[in-house]
Amino acid sequence: MIKKIKASRSEKILLLFLILLGIFSFGFFYSIKNKCLFVDDVNLENQNFIDKENIILMEVECGLVVIRLIPETSPNSVKRFKLLTEKGLYNNSAFYKVIDNTLIQAGDIEYGNIENIDYVKVGSGKSSLGNLKSEIDEDFKFTEGSVAMARGDDFDTEDSEFFIILKDIPIYNGEYTPIGKVILGLDALKKIKKGNKSNYVLRPDYIKSLKLID
Amino acid sequence: MRILIIIFIFFSYYFPINANEIFNLIKIPNLEVLNLGSKNKIKYLSSKKNFAIGITKNITCDKASENNLKKKYEIIKKNLDIYNYKFLNKNNIKFVVLCENLFISGIGTAGIPDKQKRTLILDINFNPKYFERVIHHEVFHMIYDSNPNLFDENVWRDFNDKSFQYAGCSICSDSIGLDEYKETDGFITEYSKTIPSEDMAEIYSFIIKKENILTKLSEEDEKLKKKINFIKNSINKIDSQIF
Repeated sequence: MIKKIKASRSEKILLLFLILLGIFSFGFFYSIKNKCLFVDDVNLENQNFIDKENIILMEVECGLVVIRLIPETSPNSVKRFKLLTEKGLYNNSAFYKVIDNTLIQAGDIEYGNIENIDYVKVGSGKSSLGNLKSEIDEDFKFTEGSVAMARGDDFDTEDSEFFIILKDIPIYNGEYTPIGKVILGLDALKKIKKGNKSNYVLRPDYIKSLKLID
Repeated sequence: MRILIIIFIFFSYYFPINANEIFNLIKIPNLEVLNLGSKNKIKYLSSKKNFAIGITKNITCDKASENNLKKKYEIIKKNLDIYNYKFLNKNNIKFVVLCENLFISGIGTAGIPDKQKRTLILDINFNPKYFERVIHHEVFHMIYDSNPNLFDENVWRDFNDKSFQYAGCSICSDSIGLDEYKETDGFITEYSKTIPSEDMAEIYSFIIKKENILTKLSEEDEKLKKKINFIKNSINKIDSQIF
């Protein structure tokens, strides 16, 4: 005859604790997987942009980002950026280069489109519009959220690629062509996927859309 | 070619460099900012860890110790402060990296100029006896690389005796003495005899740091006199206010 053994009170408490721990662990696992969990939404309804012709809306995985362009500093670069934006060529452009908590780079419209990204050539693509002359402003401060044209080792090699910095980088003052500043939604950019072991990202996040506000 | 690129990407993914914003700019890892606020806008950087650069990682330099860095930074800054921003900009001198024990392919060197990255790497452990003069020697290499048309080596060679031949290589010669000759005969140091650009750099560094000695030595040395005038005239074409 098998005797039934009743669970003691402490055993019941232990069982309850394990069940609760399981529920929490499971819930936490899914919460953490959602990288956009703590990113606040950008509400454009309360915003009153005076210079709408220079306001860019960038949609990324974790939300909306608003950039104000600065044509007074870099007229030709801003003109190029607007042109490529209006043509929709930055849509689906991969953030293929990410330095953790430092900068994110996108805009290779030839090899960096997420639909047919070429990992061998990304970063070397051209827009077919030719290189731009660098428009360096020694007084521009590269603070968090600054947007600038990327270039090769030499000046005057800017084309379509751009980067956004996620912290103040004063050593960049006078080194790159600034084209704007993120005025809203920087937190969404801080969630852009970074590379596992390198600053080049496999299966990168990308710009869902980039457009002028008006 | 494609295979080479794939191999490169494989290596960059699996043997990553600790990239930061400075690496992104001048492609030297493990650096930190020392001073960005100098009057002539030189950006001073130092190595916080050892680094190796170049395709075959043949250029190496070590972490700079704090005390040495502090001391040598003051000396370097004092020497580079004599150059104005316009002159430095024309000669692609923007970043100065301070580190210890600089080697190219295992051979020690005082400095490495990189015109394309606008960077001058300086070994702060270099012999203190020559340290200050060597800073200007390395500056000259940046000037030379940025203005090759002003420093015609054939014109320079003609200042020497017809029978004289340079060693042909600056780092593969044993003639590396940096003390000034007592009897110059067209050459200020033993190292001047390696290649024309080193000869020019030696003259330039003496003009900047030891002009009295150079002038005295050149009084009875026509070849040396011609070389000094050549350097001065060429530099004046870049900036008439340096001398």
